[in-house]
Amino acid sequence: MHMAIVLTINGETKSFDAPPDMPLLWALRDILGMTGTKFGCGIAQCGACTVHVDGKAVRSCVLPVSAVANRTVTTIEHVGSTPAGAKVQKAWLEAEVIQCGYCQSGQIMAAAALLAATPNPDDSDIDAAMAGNICRCGTYVRIREAIKQAANGRQS
Amino acid sequence: MSGKMRILTSVVVIGVVAAGLGAWIIRGPGPLDFAGGTKVALADYRAGKPTGVPAKLEKASLVERGEYLAKAADCMVCHTQPGEKDYSGGLAFKLPFGTLYSTNITADKDTGIGNYSDQDFLNAVQHGKRRDGARLYPAMPYTSYTFMTDEDVLAVKAYLFSLPAVRAKAPDNTLSFPFNQRWAMIVWSAVFNPDTRFAPDTSKSPEWNRGAYLAEALAHCGECHTPRNLGFALDNRRKFAGAITAGWRAFNISSDKATGLGSWSDQNLISYLSLGHAPGHGSASGPMGEAVDHSFSQFAPEDIRSIVAYLRSVPPVPSPDLPATTAPIAPASHKEGVTADARGKMLFAGACASCHGWSGESPVSPMATLTGTWAVNDPAATNVAQIVISGTKRHTPDGALSMPAFGNAYTDDEIAAVANYVTARFGTKGSKLTAKDVAELRKQTAE
Ligand code: FES
Ligand code: FES
Repeated sequence: MHMAIVLTINGETKSFDAPPDMPLLWALRDILGMTGTKFGCGIAQCGACTVHVDGKAVRSCVLPVSAVANRTVTTIEHVGSTPAGAKVQKAWLEAEVIQCGYCQSGQIMAAAALLAATPNPDDSDIDAAMAGNICRCGTYVRIREAIKQAANGRQS
Repeated sequence: MSGKMRILTSVVVIGVVAAGLGAWIIRGPGPLDFAGGTKVALADYRAGKPTGVPAKLEKASLVERGEYLAKAADCMVCHTQPGEKDYSGGLAFKLPFGTLYSTNITADKDTGIGNYSDQDFLNAVQHGKRRDGARLYPAMPYTSYTFMTDEDVLAVKAYLFSLPAVRAKAPDNTLSFPFNQRWAMIVWSAVFNPDTRFAPDTSKSPEWNRGAYLAEALAHCGECHTPRNLGFALDNRRKFAGAITAGWRAFNISSDKATGLGSWSDQNLISYLSLGHAPGHGSASGPMGEAVDHSFSQFAPEDIRSIVAYLRSVPPVPSPDLPATTAPIAPASHKEGVTADARGKMLFAGACASCHGWSGESPVSPMATLTGTWAVNDPAATNVAQIVISGTKRHTPDGALSMPAFGNAYTDDEIAAVANYVTARFGTKGSKLTAKDVAELRKQTAE
């Protein structure tokens, strides 16, 4: 059963037909063609699919599209236009965080949500916010470093 | 009679009386005795029809009526092994004294019930007697089904016989002595099977009577929610006070205000039964999740309302080990609130926080909200550990919703740590589970 879905994604209104229980991730990638958000596990255990809903990091692979109607969705394609997202992306480039890149949309989204809520995170804040984002290339050390750089606005 | 004989006779008489009295004391009241009103035979009851199918199916075929009743009696969940054909049996029940397997109740003549006559089927469902005369173990809730009318039992049979016959032989039971002595069930059954059909109570409303029939004869709520006595039969002195079944805790559903359903609104009860979720009370998972998916969600709305009316009348029995109120929402920051179990916290951050949130309110779905659930407020953490071990998959009107099973990914020690963290952070009183407790819980889970 399909229904008409209207979403606000990255500041734009998008309408499409989809089953109400379709995960937001599928709608993003398969219907809207926004493939920056990645699929890893599909069961909220890797973080690759992280987007922001009303500014909070949420796993889009388990979030039904019908649950985000009337809420604001931001994806990796647009996070650079938020203050925290811009800082994170800059720090990410400076610290050369990325290895293969597959997990990195999710890492950046999680880090941007962390900094928006907690501008000066300590290690335990970083653990609490980032522990669910898995990186098979092991970039964790650089991720932590880049988050701290982004918070301080300086290079360490 | 000689003096010796007289003494011997009195000893025997006293012995028999004592045994009878003992059995009678252990047996206690029947499931509907609490109501206390005047019971009449079904045929003499004029105020309504508590048995059978809801009005919209009154004119339906025998098979369709049987389908409704089979779902209401929730036959399928126990008689189907996950991944196998419906009703083909083989589901394992892990008991402390061995494993029982459910039987194939499709119409296959060799491995199922294809040779059962109507009387054979009635004997099995109402009296716990197999076609070959052997006794059924009470894992088959015939002490509840015995309240069903013959007409309803035979409608279920017609439905089962309308389905494809499946050839499938269940594995042999592995019960240890003395539990492998089926004949002993003759005695058990004589003491504990009320062996009587449902008798309406004229002092109660027709809605109550319908609810009583549905809850007692068909849905067999008490089989999980009523504690068992020394003889492994339901102890109706503590009716619906909650119990552990198949390793999961079936919570108190008596009308106790603090720890039962006494303070739930009708709307929440209806929602919990028909959707498996009520705002502020959490979601059904484990055996109750299955009961909702396969049984309650298929009930007609008026039947759900009748069950609610009936549940309301069950006398309050408190659960002293549960807190008087459930804990409020936890702080949004991981730093506030409980931080004791560092290992549990680490696991929670990695595997749980993205769906359940640090506050316990799920950013993903209200069904995944932990705040307010008995599971996290139970100081024994039974259901928290179980759901971490086996996960859940629910089918709701909005689609499937699931939690992965972490049983193979995490050790007993890790599962204990995360359960202790979760109950401390989101519940009233943290649990103190050990790896050994978790190992024990794993053993009890039905496979
Ligand atoms: S794909 Fe969503 S968390 Fe892995
Ligand atoms: S950079 Fe390769 S998975 Fe993270």
